[in-house]
Amino acid sequence: MSAMAEPVAAGEVAEIAESGFANLVRRHQSMVFSIALHFLADRPAAEELAQDVFLQLHANLTAFKSEDHVKFWLRKVTAHRCIDHRRRRKLLQVSLDEAPEMAAPENGARGQAADPFLARRLVQLVASLPEKPRLIVILHFQEDMTAAEIAETLTMPVATVKSHLRRTLGMLREKVSRTIGEANL
Amino acid sequence: MTLIFDQKNDDFDDEALKQALRRQSAPEGFAERVLLRLDERNLAKSSPSQSDTSSHASWRAFFTLPLVRWAAVAAVAAAMVVGVAEELHYRNLQREHAQGEAAKQRLMLALHIAGSKLQLARSRVNRAGATASGSPAHAEQADN
Repeated sequence: MSAMAEPVAAGEVAEIAESGFANLVRRHQSMVFSIALHFLADRPAAEELAQDVFLQLHANLTAFKSEDHVKFWLRKVTAHRCIDHRRRRKLLQVSLDEAPEMAAPENGARGQAADPFLARRLVQLVASLPEKPRLIVILHFQEDMTAAEIAETLTMPVATVKSHLRRTLGMLREKVSRTIGEANL
Repeated sequence: MTLIFDQKNDDFDDEALKQALRRQSAPEGFAERVLLRLDERNLAKSSPSQSDTSSHASWRAFFTLPLVRWAAVAAVAAAMVVGVAEELHYRNLQREHAQGEAAKQRLMLALHIAGSKLQLARSRVNRAGATASGSPAHAEQADN
């Protein structure tokens, strides 16, 4: 025998939907905020952009089929909004003071990441990269995304993503070794 | 100068980049601020409180009616046609006035020439009459 479903008031439905959306925001806020922060190197701007992304998500909430779909959409929209923001602002160079604040470094596999100087320098170098390579590096190293996933997110060929990654990493290595060389003199 | 950090190669591995670019926690109260903005947005959508906004909206709504839109287009077209007709009429009047002025000038010139010729003929007739009567004084008077 099936129990009769209790009628739910419209206000209650809205409340349930809102709490569901709040949970969705809490689950993905760190991802969206970090992409924006690493790209923009500006904490208040990153928060504003991340909020805008979630407001846009709320407006399109009915179109999503799964949590993975939401995650994919969030990464895509955040990436595109980052590029738009950058083009509007035309930040030419990110100085050391403008680099995002680093959280306390954890010990990496080879102990290198624990070095706050290296971590800060890497973040600064990534923040000064051109738009597309910067996003590719952020999505690959922050989100652990494959070249194919990045290509789908940024709507570009996989080969282009791979080539950007290869070239950018080479350039970052060269710049880091130059910095270390200068520091050791 | 001392070494900044201990490593054999002047390089970094992928793990270092992963650590540098690892996710950062969103600022405290981030989700609450998103919800607050959402509420503000919903509130603004549901009640456009400003009377100016509503009157603008009603005007806009009025002009979106198809009949009104076509009437407005027809009124603008009629005004343009009347304007063009008025302009053509004014130009015609101006042209006629200029032609009249030119004709008047030509007539005045013709009258002036005719008057001069008449004067010349009369003085010749008078001189001839004086010569015939034999008095040079009369001839001089005739010339004058």
